[in-house]
Amino acid sequence: MPTVVVMDVSLSMTRPVSVEGSEEYQRKHLAAHGLTMLFEHMATNYKLEFTALVIFSSLWELMVPFTRDYNTLQEALSNMDDYDKTCLESALVGVCNIVQQEWGGAIPCQVVLVTDGCLGIGRGSLRHSLATHNQRSESSRFPLPFPFPSKLYIMCMANLEELQSTDSLECLERLIDLNNGEGQIFTIDGPLCLKNVQSMFGKLIDLAYTPFHAVLKCGHLTADVQVFPRPEPFVVDEEIDPIPKVINTDLEIVGFIDIADISSPPVLSRHLVLPIALNKEGDEVGTGITDDNEDENSANQIAGKIPNFCVLLHGSLKVEGMVAIVQLGSEWHGMLYSQADSKKKSNLMMSLFEPGPEPLPWLGKMAQLGPISDAKENPYGEDDNKSPFPLQPKNKRSYAQNVTVWIKPSGLQTDVQKILRNARKLPEKTQTFYKELNRLRKAALAFGFLDLLKGVADMLERECTLLPDTAHPDAAFQLTHAAQQLKLASTGTSEYAMYDQNITPLHTDFSGSSTERM
Amino acid sequence: MKIFSESHKTVFVVDHCPYMAESCRQHVEFDMLVKNRTQGIIPLAPISKSLWTCSVESSMEYCRIMYDIFPFKKLVNFIVSDSGAHVLNSWTQEDQNLQELMAALAAVGPPNPRADPECCSILHGLVAAVETLCKITEYQHEARTLLMENAERVGNRGRIICITNAKSDSHVRMLEDCVQETIHEHNKLAANSDHLMQIQKCELVLIHTYPVGEDSLVSDRPKKELSPVLTSEVHSVRAGRHLATKLNILVQQHFDLASTTITNIPMKEEQHANTSANYDVELLHHKDAHVDFLKSGDTHLSGSSRDGPFKETITLKWCTPRTNNIELHYCTGAYRISPVDVNSRPSSCLTNFLLNGRSVLLEQPRKSGSKVISHMLSSHGGEIFLHVLSSSRSILEDPPSISEGCGGRVTDYRITDFGEFMRENRLTPFLDPRYKIDGSLEIPLERAKDQLEKHTRYWPMIISQTTIFNMQAVVPLASVIVKESLTEEDVLNCQKTIYNLVDMERKNDPLPISTVGTRGKGPKRDEQYRIMWNELETLVRAHINNSEKHQRVLECLMACRSKPPEEEERKKRGRKREDKEDKSEKAVKDYEQEKSWQDSERLKGILERGKEELAEAEIIKDSPDSPEPPNKKPLVEMDETPQVEKSKGPVSLLSLWSNRINTANSRKHQEFAGRLNSVNNRAELYQHLKEENGMEAAENGKASRQ
Repeated sequence: MPTVVVMDVSLSMTRPVSVEGSEEYQRKHLAAHGLTMLFEHMATNYKLEFTALVIFSSLWELMVPFTRDYNTLQEALSNMDDYDKTCLESALVGVCNIVQQEWGGAIPCQVVLVTDGCLGIGRGSLRHSLATHNQRSESSRFPLPFPFPSKLYIMCMANLEELQSTDSLECLERLIDLNNGEGQIFTIDGPLCLKNVQSMFGKLIDLAYTPFHAVLKCGHLTADVQVFPRPEPFVVDEEIDPIPKVINTDLEIVGFIDIADISSPPVLSRHLVLPIALNKEGDEVGTGITDDNEDENSANQIAGKIPNFCVLLHGSLKVEGMVAIVQLGSEWHGMLYSQADSKKKSNLMMSLFEPGPEPLPWLGKMAQLGPISDAKENPYGEDDNKSPFPLQPKNKRSYAQNVTVWIKPSGLQTDVQKILRNARKLPEKTQTFYKELNRLRKAALAFGFLDLLKGVADMLERECTLLPDTAHPDAAFQLTHAAQQLKLASTGTSEYAMYDQNITPLHTDFSGSSTERM
Repeated sequence: MKIFSESHKTVFVVDHCPYMAESCRQHVEFDMLVKNRTQGIIPLAPISKSLWTCSVESSMEYCRIMYDIFPFKKLVNFIVSDSGAHVLNSWTQEDQNLQELMAALAAVGPPNPRADPECCSILHGLVAAVETLCKITEYQHEARTLLMENAERVGNRGRIICITNAKSDSHVRMLEDCVQETIHEHNKLAANSDHLMQIQKCELVLIHTYPVGEDSLVSDRPKKELSPVLTSEVHSVRAGRHLATKLNILVQQHFDLASTTITNIPMKEEQHANTSANYDVELLHHKDAHVDFLKSGDTHLSGSSRDGPFKETITLKWCTPRTNNIELHYCTGAYRISPVDVNSRPSSCLTNFLLNGRSVLLEQPRKSGSKVISHMLSSHGGEIFLHVLSSSRSILEDPPSISEGCGGRVTDYRITDFGEFMRENRLTPFLDPRYKIDGSLEIPLERAKDQLEKHTRYWPMIISQTTIFNMQAVVPLASVIVKESLTEEDVLNCQKTIYNLVDMERKNDPLPISTVGTRGKGPKRDEQYRIMWNELETLVRAHINNSEKHQRVLECLMACRSKPPEEEERKKRGRKREDKEDKSEKAVKDYEQEKSWQDSERLKGILERGKEELAEAEIIKDSPDSPEPPNKKPLVEMDETPQVEKSKGPVSLLSLWSNRINTANSRKHQEFAGRLNSVNNRAELYQHLKEENGMEAAENGKASRQ
């Protein structure tokens, strides 16, 4: 989940904060302090997160495009000038553009808005934006809700009392509401000082930037892992099942499936599964990502030499071209597989399926998947040349079952032509002739289109008169018979218009002819 | 995302009154004469469909698209109305397919134009529709049962699509009032019933259809709320293809569908098989497949489809598949499709191509040169899905490689063995319920987890951690011992395996214990066998509780390896020291006789670890039938050392060579005491200090490795 930090650099951020020390602070200093803490946390514990920094006043500017280089972000924080008034809407439009350009509309992003709760004045102020919210056309849409899955975290360089003294808090709450409730407002508890800013950003870190640790299990083989990005809770159905599902910290492998069988399934999200070494206190020693100081380096080297189940699993999945099915919770599954980066690097990756008993129709119900040893004979064949997948649905779809659709005249004409073509090749094509005839008959009966039956009967009778002298005598018999049967059906009398009763070929016997019977 | 929205239940009410037998007055030419045969023949007169035929085929088309895209959980109840209501099917899933409906419609037949119009009314059907909406579907029932006390969360909404020929706007109003009243009544009934559900929301879609060329007596009206429960809309549509178009638009609205046109499909010409032209095929699917376009407002892709100005379609370009290689694409959604024109030649060519197992990538046509693959068409088990592929930048780009992380430096993972393990633990569907001995339902997935538990009770991850899994001779035992139950034959095979190992030991066959990383130091032969037997015992012991037969395998193993009791061992160790001096000489001699490279391992051990043990080994070798092979523990550390550290991987030529050099060199000087006593090539300094402090050197050795 990439992060966009949106920093207010309007003049109001330069308001001094009364601190009982010698140094004088401005609100922007407090903000920079909090962000420094956030960046430092990410640099050590959340290193793969992409973060961008946007500053805004009446205009906005992308200071640092999405990067994992937290030094650059840190430097940018110290190089910020002061500008004019707050104009939040344009900044949010800017965020929309930046995110969509970089990530498209499907990747969830976290937007961290750092402001002092002064929402600007006049045109472009948040109050003005909200007041005109209902009178907008499609082209000047308010940027919220963001056109991508998002969380909006508003970090206020002000305490609750200050915000409540004006309508600022209300306006900011409106913002969260407009983002479909996705997000949260943070305020400073107590007086404005470095310590309280730290604790506010600490809360944000706890909420949104704590690494997700889990144990990957395959029977007795286990490994401690970090799952990145953190898997987000998922709501299956707001109405029936409104409680968000959270994934287990035990990721239990239940079995394996060939890549060809799982066949590019749709997934909610993808995550790296990084093996980690935990020391006795449960602290992370090395993830393979952090390698800043020497202590960590040697710790990593030791960890690198201890066999790890993730590496074994990854290697075999890659070699065999398989995925491991992993249980994430009750009726929630995912898959583990080897994902190759473009640079010949590869990694253990986990994708989450949509929660539910049957996330992939071609695998059937997950609970019904069992070990092949329980089957009477190996469903994959002795030479590994078959597969029990994909499961076939009970009913075929229309495109797989030769349905009859006569909405366009061409559909009807094609079907009539087929009968006619076969009629001219009687008796060789007796079987197909009657097959096509019966298909037409059935559809005509279902649609109550009896005139068509009569019309086709007339046509067959005409064909009969047009038969060349060389024609086989059986052709004439079959045509007359078919025409007669269609005429009877076209009366609609139940005796002759039974849907399931097909017209069968006339039983003829010509010496030398090979009349087949149905 | 609601399962029980209005589209969960759709009731079709189609008018079957005498006036529906009237012609739609749109002619269909069905006698298309082929040119060279037509001379002198007048084609048969065109025919026309009745209002009934138009209504039925349009509603069937609605159902066809719906069933293709939502084969489950979206249900249709079909009712025809004349002098009474005829309900053609039920809400059950088995009744939800075109064949059933077609057969039922054929049984009803076309309306009888000579019936008494006074007795016939669409009202019968509408009343029955409300009644049927109160009936619970199996999905609603299931959800209610599952939610128990929260059962009221399960909604009951529905839609009535009524195709009729109304007389006037006031006639329409009368129909609406009737539905409203009936809902009111039936909700009262349902309130007191366990089997019925009150209707919370009903969408009435009234379609007035009339012959082409006539003036409509009914005016269109957009959706309007008649009561909190009922909304109604009126469409006045000419019969024939206009009606079909209307229902096509409605099915898209009702089920949130969108249209994609696949363009540039190369297809062989019917007449000239060696030329190919490019065709377009329009598909319908859930609109979420376009979520990226909708959000980014990328409208330049869309244009009006050929069928009319009402709907938009997004054009994607066919990319001819190069190979059939199997790839795991990052797919964010897969949606079932239905071709708009299912029987046209281009459509059926495309669908057949896909049903035969090929996948097609689809490209966004862009004005700039860059090629963006955004979708894929692929079939799974006879169903075609439009997969949405992620085309934006990945947030996981440039991740640390697995070789840089924990365990990344280890090079001797049992990759092939684990591959075999994965293949044995593949999953397969068990569609028929199975029962355990106690009669409870057996969940196949739990069985799969069980099996994984059994198969991993003893599973060393790296080659140098194991001896037995590197031995072909152990395979017959190792492959069956993990089973839940053994056959007599399995037990016999296990026993044979054990006897075979005993035989190998007697013959002093080499074992695949390698010494990579231990710098020329490896356990000697009988020590190797001791390690091997210990490991085998660990494996078998892990499974003795599976069954009595597993127990028998262990018994056999124990009998054959006959480990000496510890007392005896201690005695032996005492004796060893005494014999030390005498036997060293013999050992050297013995070495010189030894020429075989294969045995160099053993020799290394001899020279490096203390020659007294060698002598004893020779004794054993000399008397292979000795009933009680002494089990020596040369150094205290060796006993405590896990096998992991001693052996690493198969022997390479390099290691053989360097071992040889090492052994040759080692004869030229006396080995450092430190190296002799080292553990994992680390010698503890000032050991005596610790010993004085009452600590065992062995413990230190162990600790230093962790």
